[in-house]
Amino acid sequence: MNEAIAERVPPLAGDIPSETFESLCERTFPKVYAYVAALLRDRSAAEDVTAQAFERAYRKRRGYKASRGTPEQWIFGIARNAALDELRKRKRRANLEVDHEDVEAPTTEDHAELALRREAVRAALGGLDGHERDLVALKFMGGLSNAEIARVLGTSESNAGTRLHRTITKLREACHERA
Amino acid sequence: MSEHDALIESELRAVDEALATGTARGETALERELGELALALAAEAVEPDPDFSAELGERVRAGFPRTPRASRIPRPRLPSLPKLRRPPMIALAGAASVLAALAVAVSLQGRGENEDMPGTTGGAADAPSLAAPREGELERGPKSGSQDGAGSSSALPADEVGPVPPTPPGGGGAAGGFAPGERERRIERSAMLTLAAPSDGLDRVADAIVTVTDRYEGFVLRSSVSTGDEGTTGGDFELRIPADRLQAALRDLSKLGDVRARSQSGQDVTRDFVSAADRLEAARAERRSLLRRLENADSDTEAEAIRRRLDLTAAEINGLRGQLRDLRLRTDFATVSVILEERDGDEGSDGSGSNGGLREALDDALESLSGSVEILVRALGVAIPLSLLAALLWLGGRSLRRRRREAALS
Repeated sequence: MNEAIAERVPPLAGDIPSETFESLCERTFPKVYAYVAALLRDRSAAEDVTAQAFERAYRKRRGYKASRGTPEQWIFGIARNAALDELRKRKRRANLEVDHEDVEAPTTEDHAELALRREAVRAALGGLDGHERDLVALKFMGGLSNAEIARVLGTSESNAGTRLHRTITKLREACHERA
Repeated sequence: MSEHDALIESELRAVDEALATGTARGETALERELGELALALAAEAVEPDPDFSAELGERVRAGFPRTPRASRIPRPRLPSLPKLRRPPMIALAGAASVLAALAVAVSLQGRGENEDMPGTTGGAADAPSLAAPREGELERGPKSGSQDGAGSSSALPADEVGPVPPTPPGGGGAAGGFAPGERERRIERSAMLTLAAPSDGLDRVADAIVTVTDRYEGFVLRSSVSTGDEGTTGGDFELRIPADRLQAALRDLSKLGDVRARSQSGQDVTRDFVSAADRLEAARAERRSLLRRLENADSDTEAEAIRRRLDLTAAEINGLRGQLRDLRLRTDFATVSVILEERDGDEGSDGSGSNGGLREALDDALESLSGSVEILVRALGVAIPLSLLAALLWLGGRSLRRRRREAALS
């Protein structure tokens, strides 16, 4: 990023004055997008929501407080709220379930075993409810630690860990049943 | 930590290790399986479209310029208020609640003061400083019942005060004061004033009372100034002030100290005056007649009888003239009783005027401070519940928003 742009994009408040919003965006954008896409199961909507989340974060960047968590948690919190708002809009439109799951389908080059495993995992993911899907998306697509997940969800770390373990167990059992 | 918790922790650790290393290596088959599942789940993460990534990167670098979307239907824009961020809004809300609290506190304070107004309840003696009543205002303070009668109704100008019944001097009885049809009315006026002054200023006020009396061409009928061990403690004055200058004199007298009580009353003695004047004229006419009859008396016996009647008439004339003179004096000059007291709570001083002034200043400052504290306490009494209510509403709204969002996952 050149210096002129750096001036227009001021650093975040809090304890990390050296990190600009742009570098934070570059660092977190793929994970945030993956998380939102997993939650919404709609790539097009995920792009809109991700862009919206980063714009919200940009407008509110002066309100960031390091005492409330890391910048990643802050960004994920905003993205989660934006994704939930999008889900609410869909509910209001009576589309309670997304009817076109257009996340990546297995490619033909995948090995058969790998393809079967991915299919089983996707089927197991499809059996999760919204809260469990949210948890899995934060952990495996967003790449957050249990402590960070707890911060984003506004709960304790032990509670987040217990819920995550329960969800993983449920996924594992679902995969076994399918196998 | 229970065995179950330890099991959960070890399994979650296996998941984290697999995600961190990219390989599923665990001590047990379950841990390895969990690691593989974790890697499979992580592999489900979709990558953003490169075009979208580039576009978002551009927008970030450009600072998210606000561009209207072409797809949106343009709506007429209402004049928008300047967008405020949350901290100013909170500050504004706080300032508004504090202002509201202050307004309520001040109004409560004002109401409390009105309730304590001494003149309205007759508790003037409790008031450290009673403002001088308006000219012509009657009967304020604890002494109000001592002189009033039918004519002492309040809020009438002194010149319109009706007759006061007690003991008419001419023996006319309760109904003897009023003389219908008489143009020039004779009103006997009296006033009572209780003044309070600092103990070291009583002598000065006593002198000033005499000065004011002289200024209005009145005279001091009686005066007494009492002294205690440490100096003057009070005084009592009976003044005669020309009736037409009574109000001005009372106004000046009221300025000499704190007015504790002030009352006025008036008694219409016109009928007594007219009656006495008529009887005097009749007596004089009789005397003239008797004198003529005496000149024409035919015998000593007749003359002696006329002289005896002349003596009686002369005595009657003298009595009536004295009565008229007394009535004139009482109506031309108002009686003003002034009681001078030491101010409550004033412990006297060592004679140093500057010490008294300093004490007064300190008293005033303390009074102002206590008033400010009182207002502050009242304001806090309103602001704290308002703030708590606002905080509860804010927390409730936040919780509701959060629940609504979470409901999208259900």
